[in-house]
Amino acid sequence: MNKDLKLKKTDIEKLGSLGIEESGILLSSPIDLSFSGEYIEGFIAVTADKVVVCTKEVPEGYLNIFGGVTVPDDIKYEELAITDTAVYEISELAHLRLDTYIGSNVLSASYKSVPTELAAFTNRYSSEMNVLFRKLKGFLKGEEITQDEENTDEAAEDIEEKKKKSKRSIFFRTLKYFLKYKLQIFVLFLTYLTSAALSIAWPYLTGKVLFDHVLEKDDVFLARFGLDGRYVLALGMVALTMIGVKVIQSVSNYFQVFFMAKVAAYTVRDIKTDVFDSMSGLSLNFFVNKQTGGLMTRVLSDSERVREFFIDGIPMIFVHGFTIIITFAVMYRLNWKMALIACILLPLLVYMTVKLRPGLWSLSGKRHRAEKAVTAKANDNLTGARVVKAFGQQDAEIVKFNHPSENLRDAEINIVRLRNKFTILYNMVQEVSSIWIWIVGVFFVMKTHEIELGVLITFVGYVMQLNAPMNFFSWVFRMWADSINSAERLFEIIDAIPEIREKENPVRLTQPRGEIELDNVTFGYRIGRPVLKNINLKVKEGEMLGIVGRSGAGKSTLVNLISRLYDVNEGSISIDGTCVKDLALSDLRRNVAMVSQDTYIFMGSVAKNIAYGNENATKADIIRAAKLASAHEFISKLPDGYDTIIGASGKDLSGGEKQRISIARAILADPKILILDEATASVDTETEKAIQHSLKYLVQGRTTLSIAHRLSTLSDADRLIVIDGGRIVEEGTWDELYAREGGIFHNLLDLQNKSLPRANESF
Amino acid sequence: MSDNTLNIFEQKAEEMTATHIIPVTAVFTQTEGGFVSLDLDGKHYDRVKIVRLFPFSDADKYLSIREYEGDGKEIGIIEDLDLMSAEAKEVIKAQLTLCYFTPVISKIYSIKDEYGYAYFHVMTDKGECRFAINMGSNAVSKLSDTRLIIVDVDENRFEIRDVDALSQKEKRMLDLFL
Repeated sequence: MNKDLKLKKTDIEKLGSLGIEESGILLSSPIDLSFSGEYIEGFIAVTADKVVVCTKEVPEGYLNIFGGVTVPDDIKYEELAITDTAVYEISELAHLRLDTYIGSNVLSASYKSVPTELAAFTNRYSSEMNVLFRKLKGFLKGEEITQDEENTDEAAEDIEEKKKKSKRSIFFRTLKYFLKYKLQIFVLFLTYLTSAALSIAWPYLTGKVLFDHVLEKDDVFLARFGLDGRYVLALGMVALTMIGVKVIQSVSNYFQVFFMAKVAAYTVRDIKTDVFDSMSGLSLNFFVNKQTGGLMTRVLSDSERVREFFIDGIPMIFVHGFTIIITFAVMYRLNWKMALIACILLPLLVYMTVKLRPGLWSLSGKRHRAEKAVTAKANDNLTGARVVKAFGQQDAEIVKFNHPSENLRDAEINIVRLRNKFTILYNMVQEVSSIWIWIVGVFFVMKTHEIELGVLITFVGYVMQLNAPMNFFSWVFRMWADSINSAERLFEIIDAIPEIREKENPVRLTQPRGEIELDNVTFGYRIGRPVLKNINLKVKEGEMLGIVGRSGAGKSTLVNLISRLYDVNEGSISIDGTCVKDLALSDLRRNVAMVSQDTYIFMGSVAKNIAYGNENATKADIIRAAKLASAHEFISKLPDGYDTIIGASGKDLSGGEKQRISIARAILADPKILILDEATASVDTETEKAIQHSLKYLVQGRTTLSIAHRLSTLSDADRLIVIDGGRIVEEGTWDELYAREGGIFHNLLDLQNKSLPRANESF
Repeated sequence: MSDNTLNIFEQKAEEMTATHIIPVTAVFTQTEGGFVSLDLDGKHYDRVKIVRLFPFSDADKYLSIREYEGDGKEIGIIEDLDLMSAEAKEVIKAQLTLCYFTPVISKIYSIKDEYGYAYFHVMTDKGECRFAINMGSNAVSKLSDTRLIIVDVDENRFEIRDVDALSQKEKRMLDLFL
């Protein structure tokens, strides 16, 4: 790809004419947009006292190459002349900003106190520019520019790496899954060979042997079997052999299907297990970036497709290849002229399949997508049935459903139409070719006596039999490509390196105290968009910390970082003085329990849900935990008590009930650090009071971080922090913060007190 | 509790829920540094952000004009750009062209799919481009039956305005995504 990140020689010469030495360039990055929204070439370079932005207009016919694409060899980029140069004195620059828009980014600053656009670029250079931006910003603040080698181009490298993984290596890697079952594969192969050999023998037996030797009373031939003169017995023997061949064929078919099913089932299971294993190890980011539905199809249908090729495809390549070669050989041995004439129409058949099949494929792909659209629409409607009914939109939804439904119908009709055309044409050519053989053959038999009737019958049999293997080879390559693509997608998951990785020889957390320290933590889900900025926070052992802030302020992100669902970009988080990156993940997760705003109930009984991740809990423990979470009351009223099946297929619980079950889950887990992320948001005030009451016991001896919009929830907190815009803006006890007139907390509390005057009478 | 703070919140709540329509008399000008400034009701904004509220279905109607600094509070909404003064129209359009940089594909030379990525070679209104998309993610979104937005691996956007305007051959290449 066109990522020559270093400055070109001519560029450096140009900079030289401005009095800038190559060694004086501290930072540089390519840019590719003009302010009027046209592609250009250009660069931005930073020296100790200047920022230089050079742009070059691109000529007509210029090819823009984006991330992930390798530059074609036949394209030479000529050196473009710099058309515009802007020089900014660093001493006059301030308020550097990088704005990300849709498909474009603009670097701007205030220059000589005037807000000024410095450079624009598309996302292809966003990582380079982000580095430049961050460092330049630090530089303006008086920090040194460090020349650390940063991995600025991960996405591109990823693709490069993928290309290197050749098809062959993927093939062999997949093959390994199957070679685990050597014995079964061997038997399978044997059965394939048997049926191939028998199918070659069959036309010979029913044609040449039956007609030319036995029925013609060919003594020379019969004498070889000691059957000369005993024609009836010979006929009987032929009949027996024919029956024998059929029996062996059936038996071999039986084993073939049996072993195939076995190997297929085992290998598919192995692949799925590997994929699932690796998926569960991946960090949250992976699941956020990919749709769950897409992942499901990958695991389910891709493994199926891989199996298809390796079980149905590969052996058949050998078998059919073998069949074709042997058949041709036998035919040529019998009569080469006849063989030539018989095969004259075969290429036409092959040509037809090669020509028509891709159309069929693309149509079936279309049908598949239409099918998916219908399913998606139906799914959408069924899950949203409540809303549809509430808004009285049944009729409108039916109309909306018609569209994908009609698309599917059309796709189906198209595919049937083409398939019919194909089949009829194919059969016709096939018929013509067999009639052709009969005509020529009969001519040979009757007129020139070149061949006999039996040979003719054998030939017809062979030519018919060649169709299947020929056909097979016309689509096996497609099958191969599909299967390798599927395998590649599976390996992508299997090989995906979890972003959250446990260190080798991690530190065990056996006697946790529950002290948390955040040191200068900066974190964002995307590059250049920090959600948390320079957070410094220390939570003492057993302390209860309340976290307050507007929605989207970064509260949940902060607690997600503590249980290491994500890794910080900068700074560090430590528990009991050990960085979380050094801790064993299992220890960390066991000692940090989270009750979050989105509760998840697994399929299973109430008791199992409460004891999730804590299999050894006794019934008494479970009841105690449920009581503490104020869940016992409603659970006892369920028809089957603690054994009631809940979750996807079971009884539906209300939001508050689900929340209480997840609180009970956390209580039972008995963690040293408890995180309550809006844990009581969807319970009524009365229940909340009850839960708070039990939380009072729960938080004893535990470090608790509690996020809440309803400030009354945090009245027991030892300390509160207020987060706004990704920073801690207020910190202190309840009273200290309330004493701050005009502070965020003070205002919020006033507002809530006013809106809920009665609920707050208690304190 | 002080009534003062309560009033502030009342005010804030009112501000948050109120819709301001920017009158056609508002003055938008191009600043020296290349940005758009706004003079409205005697108030001067050095630099404003312009956000399309319906970037696909109605790109030049309902533009949200926002403050640049801080949280980007909304100043107001332009209902229809065509009704604004010629100068305002020009500077706003120029700004939008840059902010919503989306080359429109006019011709497809080739689409090759390989290893979960599809490689496009196209001609756009901004010039010839080659880019790669990830087949695993939803890189191609259908705005309607004939309009597509394609997002490459770096999240650059490309648009196909009307699939039906393409040739049969080009459509066949696109078939994979329709």
